[in-house]
Parts: sequence; C-alpha cells; structure tokens
Amino acid sequence: MNEKENVIELRGVGKTFRDFWMRPTVRAVDGLDLSVARGEVFGLLGPNGSGKSTTIKMILGLLAPGEGKVRMFGLPPQAVAARKRLGYLPELSYLHPFLTAKETLSYYAGLCGLDSRTARERTAQLLEMVGLSDVAGRAVGGFSKGMARRVALASALIGKPELLVMDEPTSGLDPVSTNEVKTLVKTLAKGGMTVLMTSHLLADAEDVCDKVAILDRGHKVAEGRIGEIGTSLEEFFLAKVGEGRDFKVAEFLK
Amino acid sequence: MRRWWAIVRATTLEMSSEPLALLLTISAVAAVMVASAFHIHQFGEPSRMARDAGLSALLVVGLAYSVFCTIKVFRREIESGTLQMALAHPISRTGFFLSKAAGAFLAYLVFALTVFGVVATTVAGAEVGGQIAAPTGDVSRVWGPSLAFDAAVIVLPLVVAAALNRFARFRFTTTVTWTALAVSLLGAAADFALTTGLGFDRSALTTVVRVAPAAAMLVMPAAVFVAAAAAFSVRFRDNVAASLCGVLFLAALPAFGNYYLSDALSKGGSLPWTHVALAFAATAPMVAGFAFLGVHMFGERDVG
Repeated sequence: MNEKENVIELRGVGKTFRDFWMRPTVRAVDGLDLSVARGEVFGLLGPNGSGKSTTIKMILGLLAPGEGKVRMFGLPPQAVAARKRLGYLPELSYLHPFLTAKETLSYYAGLCGLDSRTARERTAQLLEMVGLSDVAGRAVGGFSKGMARRVALASALIGKPELLVMDEPTSGLDPVSTNEVKTLVKTLAKGGMTVLMTSHLLADAEDVCDKVAILDRGHKVAEGRIGEIGTSLEEFFLAKVGEGRDFKVAEFLK
Repeated sequence: MRRWWAIVRATTLEMSSEPLALLLTISAVAAVMVASAFHIHQFGEPSRMARDAGLSALLVVGLAYSVFCTIKVFRREIESGTLQMALAHPISRTGFFLSKAAGAFLAYLVFALTVFGVVATTVAGAEVGGQIAAPTGDVSRVWGPSLAFDAAVIVLPLVVAAALNRFARFRFTTTVTWTALAVSLLGAAADFALTTGLGFDRSALTTVVRVAPAAAMLVMPAAVFVAAAAAFSVRFRDNVAASLCGVLFLAALPAFGNYYLSDALSKGGSLPWTHVALAFAATAPMVAGFAFLGVHMFGERDVG
C-alpha cells in the first residue's frame, strides 16, 4: 500500500520526554512504524504507559516527534489543510465549563470555519444525535462524565471529518453508552470514515476494529487484522505483553 | 477569520465570567466612588478627585486585570486540556495565540470602558453640581445624583444578574460585567442629558472629552502587559508568569510617567491626541515584541 492511500503514516517515530533542563525523563515511543489505510478502523492497543496517547498526540501535531516522520493525509500534522479533515476525541472530555453544550459546539464549528447557518444546523443535528437537545442551554461544567463525553464526541464530529481519532473513547462510560459509541464507530466506518482509536478494553477493540497494533513500552510488539489473529484478542494481547506483569504478592505476604 | 473570531469571542466571554475580573471591576468603580465622596478636597476643580481616582484605578487595577486575568485564561486552556481539543482543529498555533491574546485585550477594554463610564458620570455630575451649587453654595446637595449613578453601576448589575441567573439561567458574572458596562455608559449619557436639559453650557462634555485622551493613554501599558502575560503563560506556570510580569512592571516603572498624565488635565488643561498617537507608536513595537515571543514559545512547546 503506498503512502497516498494511507491516511496516517508513521516512519521510525520516537519521542523522549525531557524535564526543564532538557534531561531525558521517559522514552515514551521508540522507532514506531504505523500505517492506517483509508476507511479502516484501526485500534492502537497496549497497557497503561505503553505510548498510545503519545503516539496519538504526535499524529495530531500536539507533540513534536524527537525523530522519524509523521504524515496525516500526506501532510505534516501541523498543516491546517490536514487538520481540516480531522476530528479528535481526547481521553478526557476537555470542555470549557462556562460554555453551554450548544455554545461548545458553536465554538468548535467556528474553529472548523463553518458559516453560522451550517454551524447552527450541525449543532442541532449533533445535539439530537447524542441525546442532549434538552440540556443544550446548560453549562457543560455541570454535566455528568457521560454527558460531557457525548458533548466531546459531538464536537469531534462537527466538521464532518474524514479521519476520526479517538483516545480511549469508551473510558468511564456505562455499558449502554459504551455500546452506543461502538455502534456509532461502526456506522461512521460504514460511511467511509477512517477511525484510529486507542483502548485497553480489548472486547471493545475486537468489536469495532478491522486492524490492531499492540504497543508495549513504546515499541510495536504486534500488528494484524482482527480476523487473521487466529485466537481471541485478549489471548493474543496477553501473549504479547502479559508476561512477567503480575504483582509480586508472595514476597509481600511473607 | 471566522476561526479567529470564535477564539476571540470565547476568550472574552471566559474572561468576563472570571470572578477575579468582577472583583477588580467592582474595586475600580468603588475607588472612584470613594474619591468622589470626598468632595471637599477639590483642589480648586469640582471633578479633580473623581478624575484622578478614575485614571489611577484605570492604571493600577487595569494592570492587575490585564496580567492576572490573561494568565488565568491562558493557563486554564493549557492545564485543563481544552487546548488539545482546539489545536486538533484547523487553526495554526500562531492564529490561536494571537486570537486568544486579542480576546483577553477585548475583555480588558470592557473593564476600561466601564471604569471610564463611571469616571465620565462622576466628572459630568461634578460639573453639573458645581453649576447648580454656584448660586447656593451647597455643593453636597448635588453630589447625590452622581454617587447614586456610581452605586447603580455596582448594585444594579448584581441585582439584574441575580434575577437573570435565577429565572433564565444567565451566567451571573458575565451578566454583571456587561450590565455594569451598559449602566456606566448610560449613567454618563444621563449626566450629559441633564446638563443639556437644564440649559447649562457643555462644560461637562468638554471635561469628559478632556479626560478621554488621558484614559486612552492608560490602555497602552495594559496592552503591553496583556501581550507579556500571554507570552509568559504559554511557557511558565501561573506564579512564574505573574512574577515575570512583576519584574517587567518594576523595570518599566519609570516609563509609566509617560502614560499617566493626569496633571496635564488640571485647571482646564488638555492632552493633545498627537501625544496619544506618539505613545501608541512607542507601545506598538513592545506589544509586537511580546506577541512574537509568545508565538515563538507557543509554537515550540509540546501540548499534552
């Protein structure tokens, strides 16, 4: 598959975090190669601290890679033209607490450059879609975690993106909301949207992803299509990253 | 342009909903009120105390407003994670930084206009009072309406905002801020109407027009400090950014005499607008310099 057909392309990407004095603190990602093809639902899996969120942030242009090359739609991630086609749902629903749900969507519609009429229409559609029309005039600072998640999801979709990047999209959601998010991802993918999601909930990934890559301590330890793994994703995952990870309880109990 | 405006608007709204911004606005208005109450100290001019207190509040409280509120909105954007959401949209970091700083400055202008409206009300009221009192010698009798206008700038917005918050879910602090601006400007207009309606000459208007260039001068150091606070807060934590602004304030203290020119207004004196234009020419490179520094540091930093 050539680079033009890939929506996301990472080659030899690495990232080391440094303190104020530029001393290295953590090597978060090391020599990562990754390709996400158009129309694919790609799962980036791994235990906590494996480098999933760092990878996502480098793809979004929020973090500068220490080495290697990151391309989104064939462009550097900082390019405004690339981000016109992007929607992002972060791990936590980062919202301005003083804005209402409607104002939040209007704000992000403004950032997408939508004219006021289109912004109004899409805001109403998305609030209806995520079931928040009744509370559209309430400040999001008073919303529950699930409601805030819905607002963030609607914000990610306001620009009708071609690529949706979701960092732990189901984290903290109840089973019903989790199911709704999974159904939404499948529906968006059927409509041709490319989705890159991170998760450590393997059942969720197994349900919606076409392809997964597993990260551990900043390295890619496995990659494959869900149908070609030959075992359950959980077994596959534990075989790759689970060894030697149990707590050393015996010593403690002595 | 639409993207930039979305950020400017949201930032102005955020800053006007800051409790600290409300506290500083009320403090500045109260300072003018208290000064006006001491009407026996007029130094030969009926409006001197109100005018000088107003200009001082614009400078001192205005600088505190521009530094602390700007740092607060920038740091909150970075620390709460909303910056990640914003920068994942099609806007450049340069555009984001400059729009946010412009929004902070616009919020400061709302503060400055409110305080100027209060000064205008009080100054015009003092002129009216002076003329009414001239034949009777009872100055205190005519200070009442002016002080009532000033008190209304504080009390009325609080009552209106509380009612709108209770019955229509309006944001309390934001409503107070915008209502205070409206009431202060209406107060000034009412004083002028009173002057004209009572058949006095237009000395009240003349006095306020004389104060306007001096007030405009004080907006300039605030613009520099908005740009500086924005630049420092993209790289440093709020306490460090505030300390750096403090150091800048101390370093620039001798230069403030070029901007605080209340003496020029005494005894019917005025400040030529050409002086304001020269001050603007001196200020613009400083604002541009800090904006450049901020854009550079913001472009370099990792987010998240």
